[in-house]
Amino acid sequence: MNARNLGSMRQSDSRSPCVEASLITSSPSLGGRGLEVRVVRKQTYPYPNPLPQAGEGKSTCKSGIVFGLALVLGAAIVFATVLPGCKKAGPPVSDAEVKAQFAKALPSTVDDPIWESAPLHPAKLLLQDLVEPRLMQTSTAFVNVQAATDGQRIAFRLTWNDATADDLPGAARFGDAAAVQLPALTAPDVPSPQMGEEGKAVEITYWSAVFQAVVNGRKDDIRAIYPQAAIDHYPFEAASLKAGSAAQQEMEKRYAPARSLGNPMSGPRKSPVQDLYAEGPGTLRLADKTVSSGMGKRTKDGWSVLLLRPLPQGVQAGGRSQVAFAVWEGAHQEVGARKMRSAWIPLALGASQ
Amino acid sequence: MARVYNWQLGREMSYWYPEQRPKRQFAAVFDTNKCIACQTCTLACKTTWTSGKGQEYMLWNNVETKPYGFYPMAWDVNLLEKLGAQNWDGQRYGGRTVFEAAQAGERALGWRPEEIDYAHPNVGEDDCVNGVEKGAHFSGVHNSWFFYLARICNHCTYPACLSSCPRASIYKRPEDGIVVIDQARCRGYQECVNACPYKKTFYNAMTGTSEKCIACFPKIELGMQPQCFVNCIGKIRFAGWISKPENARPDNPIDFLVHVKKVALPLFPQFGLEPNVYYIPPRNVPRDFLLQLFGPNVDAALETYRNAPKDKDLAGLLTLFGSTEMIVAKWKRADEQVIGYDESGKEIVRVPMREPTHVRQAFDAARNVARTNIS
Repeated sequence: MNARNLGSMRQSDSRSPCVEASLITSSPSLGGRGLEVRVVRKQTYPYPNPLPQAGEGKSTCKSGIVFGLALVLGAAIVFATVLPGCKKAGPPVSDAEVKAQFAKALPSTVDDPIWESAPLHPAKLLLQDLVEPRLMQTSTAFVNVQAATDGQRIAFRLTWNDATADDLPGAARFGDAAAVQLPALTAPDVPSPQMGEEGKAVEITYWSAVFQAVVNGRKDDIRAIYPQAAIDHYPFEAASLKAGSAAQQEMEKRYAPARSLGNPMSGPRKSPVQDLYAEGPGTLRLADKTVSSGMGKRTKDGWSVLLLRPLPQGVQAGGRSQVAFAVWEGAHQEVGARKMRSAWIPLALGASQ
Repeated sequence: MARVYNWQLGREMSYWYPEQRPKRQFAAVFDTNKCIACQTCTLACKTTWTSGKGQEYMLWNNVETKPYGFYPMAWDVNLLEKLGAQNWDGQRYGGRTVFEAAQAGERALGWRPEEIDYAHPNVGEDDCVNGVEKGAHFSGVHNSWFFYLARICNHCTYPACLSSCPRASIYKRPEDGIVVIDQARCRGYQECVNACPYKKTFYNAMTGTSEKCIACFPKIELGMQPQCFVNCIGKIRFAGWISKPENARPDNPIDFLVHVKKVALPLFPQFGLEPNVYYIPPRNVPRDFLLQLFGPNVDAALETYRNAPKDKDLAGLLTLFGSTEMIVAKWKRADEQVIGYDESGKEIVRVPMREPTHVRQAFDAARNVARTNIS
């Protein structure tokens, strides 16, 4: 049984990712010991599991029928494993569009209860293979998207599978990252989904695992990246300079040009998120001010990231726009233009009842 | 891709951007025969520019022992292997450049060194392979060879770093052709590190950006040569301005060495970047190796160099190397003296073709003392 033929288990607009049991009548790997019961943890759609883990929510799981069969066969171990899996309720799935649920108070974490009910859109990711440098090999296939809005701002929770947590910078080493893109101006004629186009800008909110690690407390220091580093001497840490003095800090800046120019890729860092603006590939620039916030958290299977940003100009509660997503898998050397990205996806904003 | 003319290849080639040469192009000549690998250039650069956090293993200038020395590890042989065997049809390059050999999805053929590849500059390069027995000595023909290759950014006419940056964060300064990374704009994608065949752009994990040699442009703007040039003990380096071959002026020192005498050659011209650091090839290195490094003109260049003692102009100009901190824009030989001028025509240095010789008696009768060589 695979994910495709589980249709009968689906509710009209929601799918349960809970555990099911299946019977395997023979198993060469088990030496032909006759009837075996194997517990197969299956999701009802081929996307990462975005849901809270076992023990939360009410059961709507129809595979309890199958479970019952397994029980009849006397596999007590199945009971312990399967039952908790059936207890959770998934958020409704919205295949065609991202539905931002209206909420008076927007969530500030990826664990907020609102994500148990906000509709989930499994956004298919495509290779960025239109503009050099391109990504030639598929990595992250889907990102699960949920959204909530208060009419002024919009919160996205992005959840995706990623076997490796990549959050250290270095030569030939890249961090995991994700981004949300919206047209700067909502109009029937949308910009190109590939970073917008001249005269038709896009606004991007970008989260980086490297930034997040620093925000989480990793020291902004070379020894945090290379714990065995033995440093002879930095001129700006000379004994004659009082540590932390204005003169010392000024001198230290001179040895880090990108920092002294305020490049947002350099520290010090207080947020894992950047607001960006583009009018076509290669035109990406920092927005005049980063007003968005967010946080990312490592999950068992990958990342769960919250991005909270203002609604673009002309979009309001009850309205519609477009949204696109991108995910970078650091371990796959994905950076910049080398990314998995979605096409434009319709965005429907909920309104207060 | 645009079509551009690369005079080092004797043909047009494909490049990401159309041909746009700067008002004048910074260039240099390095005489490899004079380099003793003392690394003074490396340290002059290091202390001037890369003493910051995240730059610990970053050497904008390095000197490596060829054939087995590399910084970063295998920088040249990795790319040569990727590029595969290519050929020259006489003076015209018949093979593919890194731009023409780019794989699908790439702007140039490249590869990306890892941290470990930067971690051991010069370690083991000059070590003897075997132990030396007591009493061992050398007699006869020395079949072993090596030479020192000093390297900085080539400030190429067609930089692969610049063409590969998806953000256009790298630019060639129109006033002097120096290639720089905009530290405010760079987002640390390391595409330039991937693309530069010479591996002279470096990622700084502390600033989150890539950094590179800037040819000491604050000095260039004052008419002075960069730090690695003026600190060179062996006086192997000479900085100036290069013209296109058809505009070459014999009174321009770089033009004279590169275009008139053709004694200084680009490093790996076949990569197609039209690099602007030119090397007088080492004399005692097998021809095949030199052909691979410096292209088809290497025989003629070495012949010219070997004949320099009979060529007063060439020998004279070589004496100007390391003679002044200023950039010599024009030069001339007046009998036994060589004169260097700045951009405005003002004399900045005058060097005798041959230093006067003074012979001192071994015994100083006035002081009633025998002189030693160090007194």
